[in-house]
Amino acid sequence: MIVQAICFYLFAAITVASGVMVIAARNPVHSVLFLILAFFNAAGLFVLAGAEFLALILVIVYVGAVAVLFLFVVMMLDINFVELRQGALQYLPVGALVGLVLLVELILVFGAWVAGPEVAQSIAAPLPLATNVTNTAALGQLLYTRYVYVFQASGMILLVAMVGAIVLTLRARTDVRKQDINVQVGRRRADTLEIVKVRPRQGV
Amino acid sequence: MNDALPSFVPALPEMFLAASAMVLLVLGAFQRGPHVAREIGWLGVVALAVTAALVMSFGYERKVSLYGMMVTDGFGMFMSVLTLIGAGFAIVMAMRFNEREGVARFEYPVLVLLSTTGMLMMITANDLISLYVGLELQNLALYVIASFQRDQTRSSEAGLKYFVLGALSSGMLLYGASMVYGFAGSTNFDTLAHTLEASNASIGLIIGIVFVAVGLAFKVSAVPFHMWTPDVYEGAPTPATAFFSIAPKTAALALFVRVMIYAFGELVDQWQQIIMAISVASMILGALAAINQRNIKRLMAYSSIGHVGYALIGLAAGTPAGVRGILVYMAIYVFMNIGTFGVILCMRREGRLVEGIEDLAGLARTQPMLAAALAIFMFSMAGIPPLAGFFAKFYIFMAAIDARLFWLAVLGVVTSVVGAYYYVRIVKIMYFDEPKGAFDPGIGREMQAVVLISAMVILFFIVFPSPIVGAAELASATLFPG
Amino acid sequence: MADFWQGYALPVVITVAEIVAIIVPLLVAIAYLTYAERKVLAWAQLRKGPNVVGPFGLLQPIADGAKLLFKETVIPSGANRVVFLAAPILTFSLSLMAWAVIPFDKGVVLANINVGILYLFAISSLGVYGIVMAGWSSNSKYAFLGALRSAAQMVSYEVSMGFVIVTVLLCAGSLNLTAIVEAQRTIWYAIPLLPMFVVFFISVLAETNRSPFDLPEGESELVAGFFVEYSAMSFALFYLGEYGSMILMSAMTSILFLGGWLAPFNLEPFTGLAAHLWAGFWFALKVALVLFCFLWVRATVPRFRYDQLMRLGWKVFLPFSLFWLVLTAGVLVTTGWLPK
Repeated sequence: MIVQAICFYLFAAITVASGVMVIAARNPVHSVLFLILAFFNAAGLFVLAGAEFLALILVIVYVGAVAVLFLFVVMMLDINFVELRQGALQYLPVGALVGLVLLVELILVFGAWVAGPEVAQSIAAPLPLATNVTNTAALGQLLYTRYVYVFQASGMILLVAMVGAIVLTLRARTDVRKQDINVQVGRRRADTLEIVKVRPRQGV
Repeated sequence: MNDALPSFVPALPEMFLAASAMVLLVLGAFQRGPHVAREIGWLGVVALAVTAALVMSFGYERKVSLYGMMVTDGFGMFMSVLTLIGAGFAIVMAMRFNEREGVARFEYPVLVLLSTTGMLMMITANDLISLYVGLELQNLALYVIASFQRDQTRSSEAGLKYFVLGALSSGMLLYGASMVYGFAGSTNFDTLAHTLEASNASIGLIIGIVFVAVGLAFKVSAVPFHMWTPDVYEGAPTPATAFFSIAPKTAALALFVRVMIYAFGELVDQWQQIIMAISVASMILGALAAINQRNIKRLMAYSSIGHVGYALIGLAAGTPAGVRGILVYMAIYVFMNIGTFGVILCMRREGRLVEGIEDLAGLARTQPMLAAALAIFMFSMAGIPPLAGFFAKFYIFMAAIDARLFWLAVLGVVTSVVGAYYYVRIVKIMYFDEPKGAFDPGIGREMQAVVLISAMVILFFIVFPSPIVGAAELASATLFPG
Repeated sequence: MADFWQGYALPVVITVAEIVAIIVPLLVAIAYLTYAERKVLAWAQLRKGPNVVGPFGLLQPIADGAKLLFKETVIPSGANRVVFLAAPILTFSLSLMAWAVIPFDKGVVLANINVGILYLFAISSLGVYGIVMAGWSSNSKYAFLGALRSAAQMVSYEVSMGFVIVTVLLCAGSLNLTAIVEAQRTIWYAIPLLPMFVVFFISVLAETNRSPFDLPEGESELVAGFFVEYSAMSFALFYLGEYGSMILMSAMTSILFLGGWLAPFNLEPFTGLAAHLWAGFWFALKVALVLFCFLWVRATVPRFRYDQLMRLGWKVFLPFSLFWLVLTAGVLVTTGWLPK
């Protein structure tokens, strides 16, 4: 068990440290790279918790796709981040205040944790035992039965996001020439080619 | 642990609406022609009508389904139908506007349909998770609709502002919801209603409820979480503003009522003061801040803030009568807003949209019918009998008095009187000021119909109040179990 | 002390030995893959290929390796040092990491995890970081353009690759690689899922930035693309990484579609216990076959233009693989072949 404990502290420490570096790094690209490191270690924590499916989905979706696009954009940005950062300092007191309030609330809340006797019984969605099914199957069983309604609705949200992105950014440009493969393939000799018998000294 | 796929029949309206949105999306993408947007728009209206019929086919009976994720009851039915009516009118109103502004794209009705799907989900949510998912579905579509005129800075700005503040409020809602889950052990409204008792309400639970309430107050734009409303209402394209002020507000208020009255009904002592404070602040700000406005869309924003304040009195009362008051209020509010925005959309001079209140000067001489319609809506909003707006306020104040919230009722009456000033000022400008030049004629047949229908509802509510009031009576009863 | 030895040290030693047993042959295979590539290309172009160093030029890869090892590593002055050096290491180690879950025979696998296929997919989707980091940190426009191309390309083709994998998962009913191979006892998935096999193979070409999708390198317009600034060992690591991931992807293809270590025919002497003797042989043969296709394609197909590449990925493969996914699911459900 000690190995697991060591792994936990290792992953947790790196997650937190890279989380700090995300906001502390001077270079935005470094920030994104640290963010990726944080994702990665969070995935490690999932593995330790026995949720290997979630761990790998985290890596595939966040690290493999989302963060790549993020990095892509950040690399192309030409913003002087040092200047931006200077402005950020003046909001520090407000931010700190909000953070403090949230912290106090959390302390208050967890300090005074009173749960009624019925609460334990009403814990939502008891999971199938991990020993019986793999956690991929367990997730599937819940998602497609108990939570199928919200699962499908989440799909609708993604559809809206896609429609929205297209509505707001797609412009049908008329000044660019595009390759239309159907037109190219559909070209017939008769449409484009004319064979002319050219006699000497008469021209076409 | 052998859960089966649940029966989807109760979610039929939502599913039908979502499916028709997708069908229309594909249809629009492959359709060529100058009137695609209009055709898709009318098909969207048909889809909304069918959905309304489906919603009504379930009746008033309360039924929980889909593993407790959703509930169909009279309250949900009433609010759903109201939302669907609002969305239908919003599509119709947008057609001509979008064509004239050069943004006639078929995605507009599709987004309205998708957003309405989210609203139906919100209204019938019986779980904090389905509540949140529905809310996000609605909101995401609304952000896009707000910035639909993407070439105008104002519109893009409105969309962005709406997005940032909407995301903030969703965050608060989630924070609250997770607190509630942590302390109550469930996100299901039924379980919450059964297990929560006033005696063992812990501080964490109350903080959770407060955050949920804050998130919802954002969505209904109640003071002090209203700051996005004027900017978004002013910047968004006018038909979008009309839609914002009608459908999402109805849905969010329905959600607010269901969460507070049903899920946290036992803890009424804990949340009543918050709602009262929000309600009072909204009424006062709605009445005072509107006075100085010169832009009519901004004025409507403040007016809607005030109206939400009145509606929240009914929630503060926390009684069946209060809920009935809210239902009646929202029904009338929807029609008043549809009509008013119908008139605003007709305010065009030399091909350009005008939004200043002064631009209405002398409308009575140039377009008497339009002026008369707007006058009806304004008097109704001010709450002057015998128009419908009076009865809306009447039921709310009655409920407040029944619940012994006398000072709230008194304050409501006082702010209505103050608010009447700016409504009546518009009527004065239309009837007694010198004309500044006529608006463009030819407002289109569908706009005439929209304005006419809503004016009729407002005018003749006094003669036939029973369809709305009776339905509201039955609907509000379903929210209070046993 | 004995406890410590039994509980911790021994497993560690065994695991390390297993890792070495996988990596050393792998590195040799990578070295000789470069040799094979040059030979295959040479035959395709009616040349002889490397034939000077050693018999038939067999020592050529080793000579190349030694040369690269002893060259000076040049770091451009404007480069972002840490990222610049981390990129090739990342690329190379990723191409080795994935081998942890590759089964060579039933039970012959370093880590037989339940979600092996997801692990493979995750690792292969991380490959893009090495390229993007290299391109960005080199502080050179050619490298940067190469990196951007590669990021867009790899993300695009991952989508259809994911759908292909899901189709295979539907048929196999498991995410475990061993189980996927065992499920192909009746028939290799390359046959019923032939269109998906083709889509997968082409996506793999794009995912590994191999010709005809080698736009990130694109030597005719981008000099050498993302690794134009690299030299000596850091360059060699990219090179090794690229060939390593080629072998990895071939292994993945043969596991998903070609029945992994299973013999192609159920005859003596390939049945019973003897099957285990042959397992490694069949697996290696299939991997080599797929690798040959890589080289064959490179020798014969011209490079895609960038818009054609994107069009193929998003407008052809994505809808097609989605359609096949739905079709496969439908067939499995209606015929009741869905694995329990």
